[in-house]
Amino acid sequence: MDKTIKLIGNAHLDPIWLWRWQEGCGEVLQTFRSALDRLKEYKDFVFTCSSAAYYQWVEEIDPEMFEEIKVMVKKGRWVPVNGWWVQPDCNMPSGESFARQALYSQLYYYEKFGITCKTGYNVDSFGHNANLPQLLKQGGMNTYVMMRPGMHENAEIPENLFWWDSADGTRIMTYRIPESYCAHGKEALDKRIEDANNRAEETGHGMMIFYGVGNHGGGPTKGDIEYLKENLEREGYNELEFSSPDEYFEDMLNQFLKIPVWQDELQHHASGCYSATSLVKALNRRAENNLAAAEKWDTISSIVTESAPKTKEFEDAWKKVCFNQFHDILCGCSIMEAYEDVKESEGYALNIASESYNNAVLKIARKIDTWIDGVSDAILETRHYTGADNGFPRPVVVFNPHSYEINMPVRMYHPSKAVTDSEGNSVLFQNVRSSRSNDEHLDTLFMAKVAPFGYATYWLEKEDVQADKELPGEQDFFMENEFISVELDSQTGYIKSLVNKETNTEYASDNFLAIPTVINDEATDTWAHNVFKFHDIKGLMELQSIERVEKGALRSVIRTVHKFNESYLTQEFILAKGQKTLKVDCKAMWQEKFTLLKFAFPIGGNDEISTYEIPNSFIKRPCDGDEEPALSWADITVTKNFKRFGLSVISDSKYSYDCPGAELRLTALRNVIFADHYSYRPAANFNFTDEGLNRFSYGIYLHDGEAENSDIVKEAHLFNNNVVAVPESYHKGSLSQKDSFLYTNADNVLITALKRCEDGSGDLIIRLYETKGIDSTRCYIMSKLFDNGFWFDIGKHETKTFRVDRELNVKETNFLEGIVE
Amino acid sequence: MAQPIKLYPQLTRVSSHFKKYDIEVPKALLEIRPQKPDLTDFPYPLPQKKKDYTCFCEGRNGVMWYGSNGGVTRYDPNTDNIYDVVMYFGARRDLLDNNVHALVPDDENGVWVLTDKGVTHIAMVKMTMEEKSYKLLEETLTYVQRHGMVSQKHLAEPGNLKSALPYGHSDNDGSFSSGYAMGEIFRYATLKREKGDYAHETLEARDVAMRASEANLLLMYVAGRGDGFVARTYLTKDEPVPDDGLFYKKNGATASCLNTTDARKKNIVGLEVKADAPIPERLRKHYTCDGYEDTDITYKGDTSSDEITHHYMHLLVAHEFLGCEDPEYDELLKTAARNTMNHIIDNGFQLREANGEPTTWAKWNEEYFNSGMGWADACLNSAELLMFLRVTMHITGEEGRFLETYNMLCNEKGYAELTTGHFDRFHQVCLQGGIDDREDIMYGDHNLAVLALWGLATLETDPERKKLFLEGFRSWRYSLAPEYNPCYDFPYFLSDPEAKPDEERVRTWFYRFNVSRLASNVSLTSRRDYPVRTYMGGYKEVSALPTNDERFIAKLDRNPLEYKDEDSGGVYCVESCYVFTFGYWLGRYFGFIEEGEE
Repeated sequence: MDKTIKLIGNAHLDPIWLWRWQEGCGEVLQTFRSALDRLKEYKDFVFTCSSAAYYQWVEEIDPEMFEEIKVMVKKGRWVPVNGWWVQPDCNMPSGESFARQALYSQLYYYEKFGITCKTGYNVDSFGHNANLPQLLKQGGMNTYVMMRPGMHENAEIPENLFWWDSADGTRIMTYRIPESYCAHGKEALDKRIEDANNRAEETGHGMMIFYGVGNHGGGPTKGDIEYLKENLEREGYNELEFSSPDEYFEDMLNQFLKIPVWQDELQHHASGCYSATSLVKALNRRAENNLAAAEKWDTISSIVTESAPKTKEFEDAWKKVCFNQFHDILCGCSIMEAYEDVKESEGYALNIASESYNNAVLKIARKIDTWIDGVSDAILETRHYTGADNGFPRPVVVFNPHSYEINMPVRMYHPSKAVTDSEGNSVLFQNVRSSRSNDEHLDTLFMAKVAPFGYATYWLEKEDVQADKELPGEQDFFMENEFISVELDSQTGYIKSLVNKETNTEYASDNFLAIPTVINDEATDTWAHNVFKFHDIKGLMELQSIERVEKGALRSVIRTVHKFNESYLTQEFILAKGQKTLKVDCKAMWQEKFTLLKFAFPIGGNDEISTYEIPNSFIKRPCDGDEEPALSWADITVTKNFKRFGLSVISDSKYSYDCPGAELRLTALRNVIFADHYSYRPAANFNFTDEGLNRFSYGIYLHDGEAENSDIVKEAHLFNNNVVAVPESYHKGSLSQKDSFLYTNADNVLITALKRCEDGSGDLIIRLYETKGIDSTRCYIMSKLFDNGFWFDIGKHETKTFRVDRELNVKETNFLEGIVE
Repeated sequence: MAQPIKLYPQLTRVSSHFKKYDIEVPKALLEIRPQKPDLTDFPYPLPQKKKDYTCFCEGRNGVMWYGSNGGVTRYDPNTDNIYDVVMYFGARRDLLDNNVHALVPDDENGVWVLTDKGVTHIAMVKMTMEEKSYKLLEETLTYVQRHGMVSQKHLAEPGNLKSALPYGHSDNDGSFSSGYAMGEIFRYATLKREKGDYAHETLEARDVAMRASEANLLLMYVAGRGDGFVARTYLTKDEPVPDDGLFYKKNGATASCLNTTDARKKNIVGLEVKADAPIPERLRKHYTCDGYEDTDITYKGDTSSDEITHHYMHLLVAHEFLGCEDPEYDELLKTAARNTMNHIIDNGFQLREANGEPTTWAKWNEEYFNSGMGWADACLNSAELLMFLRVTMHITGEEGRFLETYNMLCNEKGYAELTTGHFDRFHQVCLQGGIDDREDIMYGDHNLAVLALWGLATLETDPERKKLFLEGFRSWRYSLAPEYNPCYDFPYFLSDPEAKPDEERVRTWFYRFNVSRLASNVSLTSRRDYPVRTYMGGYKEVSALPTNDERFIAKLDRNPLEYKDEDSGGVYCVESCYVFTFGYWLGRYFGFIEEGEE
């Protein structure tokens, strides 16, 4: 066996952390210059560096230096790794974000250097979701380097080298760095050499040592390189060799190894980071969702209206989102000032999303035939209301960005006295309190049923309401629809009864639910290093007021206000007809330092198991009370009274949950000092991560059986992606009043991307994944966009990307869209 | 076990071709003025672009037939089976060519098709799966069988069964004939149980099964070396000897190695090897009945592990169902098992050729497992060797050195544990080669793994080892499962109590199996409804498993998802029935499937 120890010269570059991005950019330029100089000085030295974003900075700011890098890459002495835009947090980005991390980066590397990265490399990221092997492989990488959690945090994960499998069956070779990715100085290097040598002897295979000044860049120093050169051959030690992770893995693969297999996630390191700094989390979720939805409709619109797609604009926007997924940014552990920059760049991305979305749907809407004989013109005659004075109803077009049919309430900002669909059928609606104090004070909510990737036109007849309508005087706190009944306790404001009407299952038989619980978090730092549970209850929020706000044909709303010291929480519990999710809109004015706010759902029962959404998949975890990262939903499923049932909590912007036994808790806020690393806390007016106003929503979804067999994925997706409704006018048009452009027959398939290929060919890219953990065959997609469809089989948890060309040839490809095979 | 899946009579495609003005051709087909169909809202994927459809007609029960310049599409809006909603018919399996000009329905469920090269009648014939198995068997017995063995026969003229050449062998006659024989033995066992020992069908099935079994067993004796060496296959003096391996011409007391490329490479041309060990008469008759003597026989050597694996599972099945009622035959089975097992043990877990060297592929020892070539094979080959030993012990009732060897391999050499590591090793080898798993799979290994691990799961009694073998079986499922092939899945379900069949896929596999094994082009590459996936090394496959009748015909050694129109044998070939009959009768015998009445 070859037990050579590879020396990986690198510079860990945090573009934002205890500094803002402008400093990070300078750090990159200085580090790259230094690395080039070292490469010229030392002929054996090899430099490894990740993050396409950094290369793009250099290309734009210092093109001459970029040319030097190109030469070194060609010689194999400068080795780009990790075909992603940055080293992101590896828990919170969506599956589609991971696809974009790879897409834009690998294509960049391919264009500039003629290569793609083969090694995934996230040495500092604070945990790695269980679907990462598949996400890496789909992005062109089949080996991986990681470090966190360390052995002190999770000793069950294999040390050194192991196979890592995701649930779809993808396997990648993974190297877990012992101790540090930036050894520097003789003492540290000696320690690393000793350790690596021992590990090589124990395992019988080679190891890697990562050296070079890092975090704020720097890279290998002359002293480090010279010391290592002197020690390449040391008596009693295995040979050392300047090298790269690519070479290391190639050597390992060429040996007949028996290494452990790991079929789980790699957690936990910084459990506080799943919730710290709600702002960045909310912006990330919103940007991901808005961009994906906007891009879908931009794609449809560009084909239907024969206009140019905004592929380049979306690339720019996604790159901003990808950048802000850098682990120290998305994890909320950078300095407060850095989040001002985050707001700017996420705002840029969100603006591209909203403009593109609006343009796309209006281009289609303008082609819908909404003409009514007798309408003289399409001039706006009354505020908000075209044609109203002639007594004509007004058309509103609702667009569905989902791959499944929706039937949900849609809001328009004025009252109505009737709503009909495009066939003239009456549609359920309700005039509800508006958010404005001006004019009628009422908006219209109506039930819109829209086909997958489709639109539907509704006709709203204006209600001439001059005065504010009185809202219901009844003060009962019970609501129900076809699926759920819920009752709030008038003394506490917590849920005292919650019934799944389909199965007649009471969820609150033992305890109140949705209990806003304040947790003490004073002893930890921003990351919550070495703390994996947040259970020190400081107190429960106390009810200040409870009132019924709405009770109508379409929905009911009950509002509660809770208080804890000087912090307030307003919740509006909203239950609409036909909806399987009870929605709760929250407004928290938070002042409690060193606290978490959790919403607790102690449903009780036995055989509890928790299930969580992870990027393009789900995972089951024990209910051991550990704080867990997840995307938009988490679930607790139990056996009680001989029934198996579960409760899922959906969130529009949160990523942190725990399950201490048969209880699920959503962590909504974490208010600790920014970038506080168990350091000395001098007297200062520190700013806190979640202080002030926080708006967010969560949903409660009830199901029979296991979570994965329910509709939770669709419900959570719907919760996070609002449909778009645009008021229209009267015009002739070539399009009918409702249509659908793409659908799939597979109930367990979610389409996450519908876009144009990045190579400018005009080919259509469709990405989807399997949601229920079952192998499925004879699935199909049909689409008017290419006037046909295709069959596909899909394995459990599998992500697939298809590319359809103008000749209707369909290729199954990966995140790189077949541009790089 | 769950209730058997009922298989009902199904419409099965049968094509007949005519010249344009043949008297059989309905005039309406030639006179009709074709109209393009309106497929605007067609709700399912179509094999061709909508604009390429040229004509249509309505058949029985609302079935629509659409013609295009890329073949015929049948749409059945009333079926409950998603696999049957849209069917594709292409050249040259179903049509003379793909350019369809006109369609008219026949009086039943089929359609007449006018294309550039003539007319095709696609009859949709209702038949039970049992009827299908008999039709396939009849075709094999008539056109494919050679001295009781089956692999495939080459055709002088594509599509013409009657042009089948009288000779022709394959490297793996022993493997394919074993599969065929096992299928026929399961048929016999099923009919015996269902209809009684002396029913006509039972007796007929027994004859066919015994003939197939004997012909196959003959390969374990025919070399006459007396040391348990197994021949790949044999030829008579009237069959040409191809230049693709090692052949030994029997001359009486010895056989001599013929002058072939491989023999020259090994420098063994003319090598004499013992050949006069007695061959049991009831096996010899498979060539003597055709007038051949021992000295008319040339056998093929350099036998592989594939052959031996199939032979041992055949020995087990034959012992259970034929040997139990025929002691003389059982003795032949036992002797073969014992001799070959001793040969393998005596030669350091290898099959030894005439020159004293191991054959190219029959190696089950550590030396091979630790070599570059054998490292990835080790998990399969270790299971094979353990299965041989288990089968030998089971059917001979002798333990002795066999049990000692078995225990030594398991306890000292880690063979039982080794069976679990298939995916680990295979995946690494793929990465070494810079290719994806799916393009490096030896699809013939699927059948070997199934047989070896099924045999072990059946015969092993130690719970710990049984667990390991089940784990080993599971390590193959990543590539076995996507095929939805009952020949692999039924043995797996017998071995894994937690696994359950997908009823719809099981039905579809049988329902949509062609009623003929005539190889032909299937125009898969001209279809628009199947995405194509290209792997790192350039290998291509489709993203959805086509039904059996819409993909190329092959044995149990090909990837059914492979993106190609015909198998490597091309269109000059007719395959044997064993793929269907093995799966069908195995399924019937073990209660996975049963015939249902409409």
